[in-house]
Parts: sequence; structure tokens; C-alpha cells
Amino acid sequence: MADLTKLFYPNAIAVVGASRQPGKIGYTIVKNLKEFGFQGRIYPVNPNANEILGLKCYPSVSSIPEPVDVVVVSVPAQKVLDVIDDAGKAGAKFAVVIASGFKEVGNVELEEELVRRAHKYGMRVLGPNIFGYVYTPSKINATFGPRDVIPGNVAFISQSGALGIALMGMTILEGIGISAIISIGNKSDLDDADFLEFFAEDPNTSVVLIYMEGAKDGKRFIEAAAKTTLKKPVIAIKAGRTEVGARAAASHTGSLAGNVAIYEAAFKQAGVLMARSVEEAFDWVKALSWNPLPEGENLVVITNGGGAGVQTTDTLADNGIYLKEPPKYLVEEVKKFVPPFASLANPIDITGMAPVDWYYKAVYAALKDPEVHSIIVLYCHTAITHPVDVAKAIIDAVKDAGVRKPMTVSLIGGKEAYEGIQLLTKERIPAYPTPERAASAMAAIYKYLKARKYVEERLKS
Amino acid sequence: MDVKEIIARAREENRRKLLEHEVYAICAHFGLPVPKHGLATNEDEAVEIANKVGYPVVLKIVSPDIAHKSDVGGVILNLTSDKDVREAYRKIMENVKARAPNARIAGILVQEMVPYGLEVIVGGTRDPTFGPVIMFGLGGIFVEVLKDVSFRIAPIKSIDAEEMIREIRAYRILEGYRGEPPRDLEAVKDIIVKTSKLMLELEDVQDIDLNPVMLYEKGRGAKIADARIILR
Repeated sequence: MADLTKLFYPNAIAVVGASRQPGKIGYTIVKNLKEFGFQGRIYPVNPNANEILGLKCYPSVSSIPEPVDVVVVSVPAQKVLDVIDDAGKAGAKFAVVIASGFKEVGNVELEEELVRRAHKYGMRVLGPNIFGYVYTPSKINATFGPRDVIPGNVAFISQSGALGIALMGMTILEGIGISAIISIGNKSDLDDADFLEFFAEDPNTSVVLIYMEGAKDGKRFIEAAAKTTLKKPVIAIKAGRTEVGARAAASHTGSLAGNVAIYEAAFKQAGVLMARSVEEAFDWVKALSWNPLPEGENLVVITNGGGAGVQTTDTLADNGIYLKEPPKYLVEEVKKFVPPFASLANPIDITGMAPVDWYYKAVYAALKDPEVHSIIVLYCHTAITHPVDVAKAIIDAVKDAGVRKPMTVSLIGGKEAYEGIQLLTKERIPAYPTPERAASAMAAIYKYLKARKYVEERLKS
Repeated sequence: MDVKEIIARAREENRRKLLEHEVYAICAHFGLPVPKHGLATNEDEAVEIANKVGYPVVLKIVSPDIAHKSDVGGVILNLTSDKDVREAYRKIMENVKARAPNARIAGILVQEMVPYGLEVIVGGTRDPTFGPVIMFGLGGIFVEVLKDVSFRIAPIKSIDAEEMIREIRAYRILEGYRGEPPRDLEAVKDIIVKTSKLMLELEDVQDIDLNPVMLYEKGRGAKIADARIILR
């Protein structure tokens, strides 16, 4: 197991290729590191500058007056080996190689030499061909992506650079709190398995999201992901989900065992939840990182419209979840205020005439009923209520009940509904614009429990 | 025949596809339920083997140069007497001589007629990233047209095999459906797990197809009716 402690808790970070010029990668990395608030020392390395962003510059890593733990290497590919020698002699432990121009363009030898050299000095390599890394508990943002990621409990590993950096921005927009972002690039040395092993044990991380093009060592990936699943959910988006052309093979099995089928099998055995899209992955991340795990299977759906209820029930059924009769206490409580024609099966339809107050009471009662284990709240924008008020009622009910149960919400409507979703998001109550997404996100929570059980039993036998 | 010897000889002769009796020998070594069989190099031997495995039997040409045995008249089914076997032996030799005159002949396989059951397929292939991958599905149109198969990465544990079986869409057929009896799922599980062991232990094997495996009623096991192994 790779010891990544000093990568995530370094005393000093050097940025080789630091630049004074705004817009340059070597400038943005130094700026992000400084302004995101890294508490250790930051050493820009640039032989032609005295100072960058108020930080004293050094001509080389070896001229820095103390040993640095991490060297971010932002120089062109052909200069990387010299930097590795310099950093290695200076005792650096990790090289974070931003530069591209290695294996991804066929430059296999240069990449292999990079790893050989680094290992000679006992140094591990993240990259090359990456946008850097983030670890919010140490206030590290050593990327040229957005500066102000939201601190939180989601670790995101991305094999794609451009998409990864874009998703980094999207986490901010979506209100997803981040513990770490790892741009893993060519995985010349450190790979998904190494980081999974760290995040499995990391108390600051409760969900791991991976954007994966391909595993480097399949067996090690399954092992590391399975161990992580035992402790926290791992969600993966696998690039290339459709089979383009059948494989030519001399056997039936060989021709049917396409890349997709094999990854699906591997993910199942590792307990990894496979998301079909970025949207789905983010939806699931919210549901899993903002909710506790349910204590049982009694899922209750509360709605003010039949249609939204049916869409939810169907989506749940697609995921193997079938709603049971709602518990008695909850039904008795709801009966007190809804009209006699309201359907109190599951979904519980508090009807289109439901005022904000009924949402408060229904959600409160569901939270208070010990036989309810999880809740989906649906709201269709009506003439008599405002979605923001409904959002507030849900938030108040959660606060007043003093219990958190897995909950997903869908506020369906126009601009006002979106405002309500924003409000819920701020309170870390996962809310979505469609009932299907709220249902799929809730299903992901139950899928995780099932996946974890499979892995537990698998590792026992 | 020793497993290593079989592979070494195939390598020597530059064959990637193993001969049928070689495949059966390897399968038997791993405890897979192969049909009773023997390789005959003359008529007398064929009769002797037929009596040993018990009638009815099937005769199949064994040649590294013939990919589709039936196309050259190299397979005759359902033989019930010594006389039938002698005639079939001669007929197959004549057919092959006429239609594949340059084919090398290893002999003729005499095999028990495997009783009909529900046809399933168990297979293995080697993936560059994950190593051996094992497949399960129902035979015929289920695998050919619907591609209704499930996969797991080796080593396959008992729970993986259970999930593989339950995962296919046609699972209900295995459970027993409209007068069809429930099938011997323990026997399939056993075959899946043993195929995984075979793939893990024999790194020379690129692909294995056990297709079809005849699956019988619960408690009555399963038997491989045809199999192929491709070396790396």
C-alpha cells in the first residue's frame, strides 16, 4: 500500500514552472494554492523571477532552504526529467506532473523513464497529463481549475482532464462538498487503487466518485474498491458504456465478453455503483453524501399529485424497489388534516389542495414514525403554494423533528421550483427537478446497501 | 493424458485450438462433468470403446485441420450396435478423405450420446486488464440472439456464481416454468466455479466454451455435450 500521507498532509509544496503571468497554468496553480489557504509553505520555482504573488521564488527545488514533500511539475514534457532529478536529490516525496506529451501521445518511453527516475529517489508520481489535485482538509488546491471548491466529504478521482476540470466547477454549482479531487491522468505510477486505499481510511471522505476510462490493474482495482465499499460508497462513471462493434474472437465467450460487460462484472464484485451519466452520478453523490444510511426498507413517498407519485413508483420498481403499505402511525397523523378522499396508500397523496403546512406536518410525522426508514417528498407547483415555502417547510420539519433519515425531494415546476431546490441544497437535503431523479437517487442508497452486503459475503467466503 | 503434456504437444504442433479429446481430458482433470468417451484409431478400438461407454454413442472425426466437423461428414449420431459403429467409422473416414483430403487425422472420438437437457453455456476468456472472466447463459437463441449472459471476474466465489445464475433474464426457466422442471442449479454453480479454477491455473488457455452443457432436473446434475479450448 502506497503511503500518501505526505501528499495530503505536506509541510511544504514547490511549484516548478511557476509563472508571473496571469492565465498561465504555472500562475494559476500558485494562486489557487495561496488563495485557497494552504497553511504550509509554498515555494514557486522559476529561475527568472524573484517573486510570484508575493512569494519568494527559487531557481530550483534543491535551492529551497527546507525539504519539500510535494513538487508540482508544470514544465513542458521534455524538461520534466531534469526537474525529477533536481526534486529527487532535494528529497521530495511526490511529483505531481501536470505536463502532457507522454503516453497519451505515444511517448511511452519518456513516461517509463519518468517513473524509473522518480522511484530511484524514492519519489512517487501522480500523473502525468493532469490538472493537479485538491485536498480540502489541508486547504490544498494545487490545480489550475476553479479556486473555490466547497469543502465537504466527497472524493472525486478523474481520469479525464478536460471533463474532470469542468466537473470540478460543476460541483461548486451543484453545492457538492469536496474532500479531494485527484486528476489521475496517465496513471504512470499512482493509480485508482492507491487512492481508493487512502480514501477508504480517510475520515474526511464519505463517498468516492470515479470517472474512469480504464483500470490499470483490474484485480488490484477490484480489491481496493471492494475494501472501500465496506466502509463507504464508491460511484463510478465508466467512459465507453456502449459496445462499438463486436470483438473478433475464436470463441463464443470471447466474442460476448466486451469491455462493457467485463467492467460491469468487475464493478459488481467490487460493490461499485455504476452511474450511466454525469447527471446521475452527481444525483447519487448528493443522496449518499448528505444522508445517513437507512435502518430498514420502509420507504414512504409523500406527494401532492398522482402523476409525480406514479413516475416515482415506476423508477423505484425499475431499480427493484417496491413500496409497502405506509406505517400506521404516519397514516393516522396524516388523516388528521387531509381531506377524506386523499389516498393514504404509498405514495401518500396529500392532494393538490395541500397547503405548505401539510407538507410540514406530513414530513414531520414521517420523520417521527420509527417505522419509516426513508422518505421521498414530491411537490408539483400549484396555484396555492410557492415552492420556496414548501422547501422551507421541509427544512423546518427536519430541524424540528431532530432526526435525519435518508430523504430525497423533487420540486417540480419552473423558476420558483428551482429556487426551492437551491434552498434545500444549501441545507444538504438532496433535491431534484424531476421525480425520477429523486427516486433514482433514493434507489442508489439502497443499491449501496445491497452492494455492500454482496461484497461482505464475497470477502467472507 | 497429463494437462501440461497436452498443452506442450499442441504448442509443438502449432495448434491453438485443442482437439476434442484433449479438451475433455483437461476438463475431467478439473472435475468438470465430461461425457464418457475414448479416441479410436481403428474400427476394433471404436467398437471396444463403444462397449465401454455404453450405447447409444456418437462418432466424431478428430483433426486439427477441420473446424466444422459436420460439414465434412465427420459426425454420425445415435449409433446403437457394434455393426453400426464399424460402418460409421468407415463412412466418416471415407467422407473426410473425399472432402478434406489433406487434413491430418488424429482419430475418431467415440462418445456417449449425452441425454437431452436444458442447454446452458459456461465459458471463460482472458482479459488483458482483469485476467480470467467467466460467462454463464442459456444456450441456443438465448445466447446467440438475445446475448442473455452474465459475467464475473475470476476467482468466482460461490456467491458470484449464484448471482451470475440469478442475473440472466431467463432465470425463471431455470427455476422451472410451465411444466418444465426446476433445474440442478448446484450443478451449474459447480461448473462455473471449476471453470474459474481452470482459467486461473492454466494460464495458457485464452478461451474456453462449454457449449452446450446439458442441465438436468434438480438433483440429477449436468453434463458437457461439447467443449472447446483455445490457447493463447
